[in-house]
Amino acid sequence: MADQLIEVVESADNVATALRDIEAGETVTVLVDEAERTIEMHDDVEFGHKLALEPLSAGETVTKYGTSIGDASTAIDAGEWVHVHNVESNYGRGDLADQNQSQAVQE
Amino acid sequence: MSEFLGYERSDGSIGIRNNVVIVSTAPYANDTVTRAADIVENTVPITHPLGRCQTKPDVFQTYRTLLGYATHPNTYGAVVVAHAGEIVDGDELAADTAETGRPSESVNIHEEKGVMNGLKATVDAAQKMVRDASEQRRVPSNMSNLTFGINCATSDTTSGLCQHKATAGAVWRLIDEHDGRGVFAETPEFFGGEQELAERAINDEVKEKILDRVEWWDERLQATGYDVRGAQPTPDNMDGGLTTIEEKSLGALVKSGSGPIQGMVDYAEQIPNESGMYIMDSPGHGAESVTGIGASGAHFMIISTGQGHTLSNAVMPTIKITGNPGSAKRVPEETDVDVSEALVGDQSIDWATNQLWDEISAIIDGKLTMSEALGESQFAIHRIGPST
Repeated sequence: MADQLIEVVESADNVATALRDIEAGETVTVLVDEAERTIEMHDDVEFGHKLALEPLSAGETVTKYGTSIGDASTAIDAGEWVHVHNVESNYGRGDLADQNQSQAVQE
Repeated sequence: MSEFLGYERSDGSIGIRNNVVIVSTAPYANDTVTRAADIVENTVPITHPLGRCQTKPDVFQTYRTLLGYATHPNTYGAVVVAHAGEIVDGDELAADTAETGRPSESVNIHEEKGVMNGLKATVDAAQKMVRDASEQRRVPSNMSNLTFGINCATSDTTSGLCQHKATAGAVWRLIDEHDGRGVFAETPEFFGGEQELAERAINDEVKEKILDRVEWWDERLQATGYDVRGAQPTPDNMDGGLTTIEEKSLGALVKSGSGPIQGMVDYAEQIPNESGMYIMDSPGHGAESVTGIGASGAHFMIISTGQGHTLSNAVMPTIKITGNPGSAKRVPEETDVDVSEALVGDQSIDWATNQLWDEISAIIDGKLTMSEALGESQFAIHRIGPST
């Protein structure tokens, strides 16, 4: 039976939200679009944090609420913890916007 | 159409509180305001670091915000305290307040020939005003008069999954069933969800304004030359599992529901009378956005929080709702409504919405919020440009 405390918002999502503390090594069952999916957990995932539902390659769009929440900055396996260490935002990125300006600010 | 018990104002608005505010026009009047409010019961001090050495856009914004509090539906009357001649003019603020029919007095520390005289004049005016205010009674009033403010605070991944859904349910109940108004803000927290939000606009003008303001904020943040991460999402957002501003935004927008967007107003600008959902352009900085929503005339504010928060406003009662089971334990004296059973237990979102609606119904009739009972509030006017 699917775990009620792991929530997938939209069927297009490739991440789920943990509503309990999950431990590495657990096998969890999540409900995606009314179908159960079994995932081997690679990492501990704390309450409120996210896990990958499927493997993602570097640069691939991370989807939650059926919409992009950024891009994977490295390859991510199913069952891995998904957070700031492996996802990059596409907004407010002054560090990417203008290299000359960034350099001037940093100097 | 339901009724509540409110205070009638001569400008036609209805208050859910009967505050006397003592408003400072510049930092150099702040202490006089704070001291007078310590002396006179049932007064609200409004102090801030602005009102002087500002360029015009900031002068207008500071003035508009202060006037919004002096003439708020929940304000009975105002004592304005100026230090000397300021670009945010105390006499003008008091006169504009009086135009709404509210009692208003102006005190100028220089004209009074000193701080002690200024304090005495402020206390005398405030003492008379609170005694007059105490004679006013609540009367049955139509709920269509009410404006429902909404803000996030220390969001986490529970926000978009639970408490924001209950908040959306309650605000749309006020709009759809009682012809009231709703307002939310925090434009940088639309990043990533702006297209879907703009599609909800009632016309192209509103749609374009939403997209323009989102672009303006993104460009402004990029112009710093830095990655916005750390400022958005904040470290407490990230502790709670939010990874990017896009994820925070998509969750944040859940609190606005899915109904049409009637209009978008500038920071601290008055919300139009027509029923519906409005957006106020503001930063995601909670104290600044809540201060702006208060100035726009919202009667009460739902703070829909993930990790728990102290965010509150002195003039606009602030009801905090959380769906994170840890938050109600982390800041119990700040949690008005705990709906975590709808996230991790057996309760439904409808149940959570009803829990919130019941609390709102009590608060608008006069029950104190947790933060009102603690005497806790913040006040921070958003500034646009530099001091000069």
